[in-house]
Amino acid sequence: MATPSPLPSSRSGELAGLLTRVSLGDRAAFATLYRLTSAHLLGVVLRINSDRAQAEDLLQEVYVKIWGAAGSFDAQRAQPTTWLTSIARHQAIDSLRRKKVEPHWVTTRAGAEPDDDDELLDQLASSDAGPMELLGQAVQARSVAICMKGLTAEQQQTLALAFYQGLSHSEVADQLRQPLGTVKSWVRRGLLALRSCLERAGAIDPVGA
Amino acid sequence: MNYFHGPVADRLAAEYVLGTLRGPARRRFDALLPAHPALRAAVARWQDALLPLAASVKPVPPSSRVWSGIEARLFAERQAANATAAPGRWWQRVLPWRAATGLATAAALVLGVALSLPQPAQPPVLIVMSPNDAAAAGPALLAKARFVASVSADGRGLVLKPLDALPIDADRALELWAVPPQGAPRSLGLVAKDASTRVIRVELLKNTAAFAVSVEPSGGSPTGAPTGPIISVGKLES
Repeated sequence: MATPSPLPSSRSGELAGLLTRVSLGDRAAFATLYRLTSAHLLGVVLRINSDRAQAEDLLQEVYVKIWGAAGSFDAQRAQPTTWLTSIARHQAIDSLRRKKVEPHWVTTRAGAEPDDDDELLDQLASSDAGPMELLGQAVQARSVAICMKGLTAEQQQTLALAFYQGLSHSEVADQLRQPLGTVKSWVRRGLLALRSCLERAGAIDPVGA
Repeated sequence: MNYFHGPVADRLAAEYVLGTLRGPARRRFDALLPAHPALRAAVARWQDALLPLAASVKPVPPSSRVWSGIEARLFAERQAANATAAPGRWWQRVLPWRAATGLATAAALVLGVALSLPQPAQPPVLIVMSPNDAAAAGPALLAKARFVASVSADGRGLVLKPLDALPIDADRALELWAVPPQGAPRSLGLVAKDASTRVIRVELLKNTAAFAVSVEPSGGSPTGAPTGPIISVGKLES
């Protein structure tokens, strides 16, 4: 039923209009919103929780939430895709703690050399693009992509693993075979550098604005 | 500690959006969000910054069961709610129920059980509310900020019971809030500090992710949003 397509920002107006109608209880608008956005949101959930059946259950939760919370969407303050994506990501990240006991989706090979990081990264997402490739493909996010390129390789790698794979600090540390403290500092410095770059580019409001 | 402003709030918000804020810390952050606009603003800023990265994720069309499941959950529930809300005689209410549960129910009817219980008795939803350690409140008060909220299965009645009498000043009152997953908390009114309080509302559980208790001036929050520390929070299992 859904047409797989990315969510170009030109669609923002249409999606914002649909969300307004959904907040008024318009079921036809809700069905259209689902048709336009569900494939993208399932993609987002699957990056973080790769179990297809669980991801579809989570997607169901996501749309139940969207139906209930559409009234709190404020088109003046947020892009519809950002709002929808944040709900999907939150649901997916939340599901990971329940799944924690069996993190079979993170494969770390015993005996791998520390310089096998690239290979390990390739393994992470078997058939799809790896986190670093996704970073490169984020063409619609030009500012953030440009700003990402200004970070050190380690910062880029840790942020991409956390964002696209939903890995925690310690899981990133395991993947990259680095001490936890080092990874935490890459994340923290990476985020700070990213933010000041985005502020300079005018992509986000400066803190305190 | 200046928890809701400045660099600490900003760092927590960044890690929340990035996804590295996990476990109890993430849940606590979730519980704080509704009442703290500065925290929400920091989250919104980081969402603007980071979420465009998700644009390059490959779309995956969901199977058709997802949509049928959503429809069943959202719109079947609503029809059921309308059915129970509609006035009528007890056998009118029992009919759809009997159809749904089939032969076992027919047998129960023969036994006369259903005659005295026109609606299936469902257990209430129990929510244990624990002290919110991040609240700007004295340790003596926080230590006793434990409640059990019992919500009737139809979501229309709630009984809030403090496990201990709460030591609050005479010019202060406790206010109960229903916290939605998104947006502002809804006041459920003032509650007693040393006895059970009964709250009757329509759809207490709908669009509610958590219940919270805040300390307010004696007449209740003057703004319609929590103004004092949120001393106790209980999340609904989703």
